[in-house]
Amino acid sequence: MATAAYNYVVTAHKPTAVTACATGHLTSPTDLNLVVARNNRVELHLVTPEGLRPLKELTIYGKIACMHLFTPMNETKDSLFILTTRYCAMILECVGDGEHLEILTRAHGNVSDKIGKPCETGMIAIVDPQARCIVLRLYEGLIKVIPLDKDNNELKAYNIRVDELQIQDIEFLYGCSNPTIIVIYQDTHGRHIKTHEVSLKEKEFSKMPWKQDNVETEASTIIAVPEPYGGAIIIGQETITYLTGTSHVTVAPALIKTSTIVCYGKVDANGSRYLLGDMSGRLFMLLLDKSDDRAEAVVKVELLGETSIPECLTYLDNGVVFVGSRLGDSQLIKLNTEADSSGQYVTVMQTFNNLGPIVDMVVVDLERQGQGQLVTCSGAFKEGSLRIIRNGIGIHEQASIELDGIKGMWSLSVNSPKHHNTIVLSFVGLTRVLTLSGEEVEETEIAGFVADQQTFLSSNVKYDQLFQVTGTSCRLVNENNGQLVCEWRPPEGRNISVVAANTNQVVAAAGQHIYYLTIQPSSLKLEASTTVEHEVACLDVSPLWEEEMASVVAVGLWTDISARVLALPSLEENAKEFLGGDIIPRSILMTTFEGHHYLLCAMGDGQLFYFSYAPSTGYLSDKKKVVLGTQPTTLRRFRSLSSTNVFACSDRPTVIYSSNHKLVFSKVNLREVTHMCPLNAEAYPNSLALATSEGITIGTIDEIQKLHIRTVPLGETPRRIAYQEETETFGVITMRVDVMDNNGLRSGGACASLGAHSTSAASTTSSLLKPPVQPPPEPGQEVETHNLLVISQNTFEVLHCHSFHPGEYALSICSTRLKDDPTVYYVVGTALVNPEESESKQGRIILFSFAEGKLQQVAEKEIKGACYSLCEFQGKLLASISSTVRLFEWTNERELRLECSHFNNVAALCLKTKGDFILVGDLMRSMTLLQYKTLEGSFEEIARDYDPNWMTAIEILDDELFLGAEHSHNLFVCHKDSAATSDEERQQMQEVGRFHLGDFVNVFRHGTLVMQGVPEASTVTQGCVLYGTVHGALGLVTSLHLELYNQLLEMQKRLARIIKSVGKIDHDFYRSFSTERKTDRCEGFIDGDLIESFLDLGPEKMKEVAQGLMINDGSGMKTEATPDDLIKTVEELTRIH
Amino acid sequence: MASSFLKGLPVYNEQNFSRFQGDPSGRTSYKKPPVYLPTKDNPSSQEIVTEKTNILLRYLHQQWEKKCPKKKRETGSGSNEEEAPRNKRPRLEPGPSSDSP
Repeated sequence: MATAAYNYVVTAHKPTAVTACATGHLTSPTDLNLVVARNNRVELHLVTPEGLRPLKELTIYGKIACMHLFTPMNETKDSLFILTTRYCAMILECVGDGEHLEILTRAHGNVSDKIGKPCETGMIAIVDPQARCIVLRLYEGLIKVIPLDKDNNELKAYNIRVDELQIQDIEFLYGCSNPTIIVIYQDTHGRHIKTHEVSLKEKEFSKMPWKQDNVETEASTIIAVPEPYGGAIIIGQETITYLTGTSHVTVAPALIKTSTIVCYGKVDANGSRYLLGDMSGRLFMLLLDKSDDRAEAVVKVELLGETSIPECLTYLDNGVVFVGSRLGDSQLIKLNTEADSSGQYVTVMQTFNNLGPIVDMVVVDLERQGQGQLVTCSGAFKEGSLRIIRNGIGIHEQASIELDGIKGMWSLSVNSPKHHNTIVLSFVGLTRVLTLSGEEVEETEIAGFVADQQTFLSSNVKYDQLFQVTGTSCRLVNENNGQLVCEWRPPEGRNISVVAANTNQVVAAAGQHIYYLTIQPSSLKLEASTTVEHEVACLDVSPLWEEEMASVVAVGLWTDISARVLALPSLEENAKEFLGGDIIPRSILMTTFEGHHYLLCAMGDGQLFYFSYAPSTGYLSDKKKVVLGTQPTTLRRFRSLSSTNVFACSDRPTVIYSSNHKLVFSKVNLREVTHMCPLNAEAYPNSLALATSEGITIGTIDEIQKLHIRTVPLGETPRRIAYQEETETFGVITMRVDVMDNNGLRSGGACASLGAHSTSAASTTSSLLKPPVQPPPEPGQEVETHNLLVISQNTFEVLHCHSFHPGEYALSICSTRLKDDPTVYYVVGTALVNPEESESKQGRIILFSFAEGKLQQVAEKEIKGACYSLCEFQGKLLASISSTVRLFEWTNERELRLECSHFNNVAALCLKTKGDFILVGDLMRSMTLLQYKTLEGSFEEIARDYDPNWMTAIEILDDELFLGAEHSHNLFVCHKDSAATSDEERQQMQEVGRFHLGDFVNVFRHGTLVMQGVPEASTVTQGCVLYGTVHGALGLVTSLHLELYNQLLEMQKRLARIIKSVGKIDHDFYRSFSTERKTDRCEGFIDGDLIESFLDLGPEKMKEVAQGLMINDGSGMKTEATPDDLIKTVEELTRIH
Repeated sequence: MASSFLKGLPVYNEQNFSRFQGDPSGRTSYKKPPVYLPTKDNPSSQEIVTEKTNILLRYLHQQWEKKCPKKKRETGSGSNEEEAPRNKRPRLEPGPSSDSP
């Protein structure tokens, strides 16, 4: 009996690569909409004067293969046709508007055939311009016609046999009395064009209006030209042809030869202009001119400029174009009639982040905060970049003021009842007052305030008075005239060292003496004073609840490092807690989160202690500790929406809030904040003013934490990344493509490998590997160079670039120490690629050390094949080389010596290790588990999964469970049963979990994006594996305990029923493990995306989900769940990402 | 040259993008649209089904019908047309076996 797997898989960052886009009138006949497909999601936007307004995001239960907007017959509004890669077709319509926008599924169904060979050139769907039918090209030798018949409750699709095999592209011609398709197909003689008229009645091709044999051998794209011109434009590698059946014009613009045109967008409704985008990111305009009937058409092409490498293009309005990209960021661009200084007719208006394709990634904790950051190898060619992804709260900067040396900052409202209009800034020996009028900031004075001393505190207080505290005194000032009305000084000429106040009360400390004052009209009344054992380090007198007066004061002391609570007005000690250590408390704060009272105390080293506080007893309890930063931390309170938050100012600014009665610590996307005050000014409502080393930033803050992405452009393709903590660097393998032109090799744009501080190259004389002498590249030929870049973790500058031999591909990298050698190495595995051979037969493993800004090659080892993967294993080096797994020992002579090998793979692509165990992922033979026998110095094959899965990534979950991703976008978990009775059973891994993810996983890494080591971190799940995909999605797989798994499974069933699928694709069908060979029900995985959508349901639907759902009430008894129980469970789950 | 190509680009609503405010860096913060979460079913959706008839048999049928137009046609009512294939069903049922190679 195999153990089952209980996993939870959820998207942390949705796919960002754009796979298709279209413009049309979807939400109403007059609205102009942009529709963007991102793998399994469709975004609807409205074009407005302000730009694109996002309307809705639809989740499709499948990967979108084709998407088209079309106007159904006799209608004015467009519908959306979508086809998924698993053959689900749908026609969608938008009804209603704004918040009430609904998506109606007008037609749906599965269009797969039981037999048939899927087309190698992919699925194509086209819609007749008059919307009489849709034609699908799914299987070789057939096309499928879906007649769009409105009157039937069924749309009866049928197949028609086509003689033409290897169809490259297919389109509908305009202006034909019967639907007429045009195809480019290939046979042994080359590529040809043929047209077919479809008879919807006969369900056959009725005739062939015209054809054109032998067009360009690389012709790949058809553009059907609307009336009055008609006919079609055929795009090839070097030529563009315009065909009408009676005429034939071919041009060969020199411009287009250097790359391949991959997409087009129609500009004019009459089909006279088209945008063309090529693989190098160049944008062209094609003009078709046929002024009078007799003259031959004229075809012209002009270069407009450079964009992201496009996947699709669509013209919106007024010269604005959406460029959808799969390999880089998508863009909104504007076409200008005048060229800019660099000769471009294109300006970028807006950029849409895209992480895809994520090829590799590492989880690092650069600030050692217990919170992981991801650094991904994203994008390709000129769009290649590193992306640093961190979870946190975003500050959106509205304004900034340059000022340095700020020691304190407070916002006041001076004669302005609703808004703050004044900021008091304190410096060493100086106080300045700024006034905000609109967006303008001016320096001003408040007569009753002292300006030549440092301010410790300033605020609005009761009875329309302003308050300022300096080292010498507390000053009460009339708000209306700014005149000083009362000044209080500590007795015996003492100086105030620390102070805290609210609108009614002041607590000031001078060394060991504490004074309690109340604020009266025009006076400060000393209510009590006391002396404590040690000097006071910090104070707080915040009222709890919404009360006006505080009943206690919180005190942090020097010397004995304690936090105390003193009662007011007596100043008697209620509670005392020793914090331990010798770092003094720097900031103390009492606050209420979700009805619970807390005492927070931040230390000089960035640690934070926190306690529960019970006002009735005055006790502090549940002491907990968390590390927020490394510098002295100041705590300030602010409100956002109607909840209380605390801002911890430090070198790692953090927002503290409560969710489900647990404290959440969220990093803020700013480098360092020294002071903070809430600011609700007229021009900056509900904002925060933040002091940094450079000045003041005024900004608004996100309500919730989310992923923040920083981009480091590389300008070339990143392939692999490794982190080296010791040298504070990343080792990144990149590939640069140069094109040979008349002046020699040319690389486009700024490439990271060409801008390094220092460079080196593989030596052709001393290297073991002698790459074959290659002929000099011909003009137009592309030359690939693989590099190892050493990139600083702090500045992300390229410190060093090492180029490998021509034709030598670097495939793997790891950073490690070996055996007793104290040096830390970057180890790179390569393959020598010979275009004549099907497989690489030669490669190298190279060891580099990085020190003092220079990279040194320390050793190299020639290998017989391609080194796909490398990792450290028990002080040795483990490598997968072509079909083998090999272990190398690092000798005292500083050489790699082969210790043992394992041969039982087709191509061992990936390796993961744990203890003595090695998990191998094969190109087509799933996963194998090896054990290293230390004594014998050999590998033993322990177990294998015998299913023919084509692996893309693997990970070890625990000693018995292994996670795999395969190339049909599925995840699965295999179980090694060491307790099985027979050898045969033990040697066979059981597949215990199956799930269709719907995206291609390139990499798995253990790690998490949320704070670890926080006492209140979520505990409902165990372990966490992050994944990165081709479409730029990030997600995680984590384990659940059986009880929660069963509860979520039941909840998932209900949600799948209650949340209606757009296009009526069953959730069960969507998540079933599906390859070309088999389809199996999803098992052992919970679909976290569906579960977490529970939180977006209305109260009625939540109730429906909860109805009759039994959960454990904590005592082991089963009770019926309430919506609140489920909200709590799901919110807990959302906090793991 | 390209300038002349770019003259008179189509305008649907000249107001569109007129008040666009971009970041100078082009990296305007981009708000994700809210996720659509339908809970209402639309029962009137048309189902797309693929005709099961073998292409060859369908072709032969059509040929046969062309050669000897049905006498039934004279009655010309739709119901008869629908019946016609039903009569032939029994002969087509073994059809699927001809699907497999």
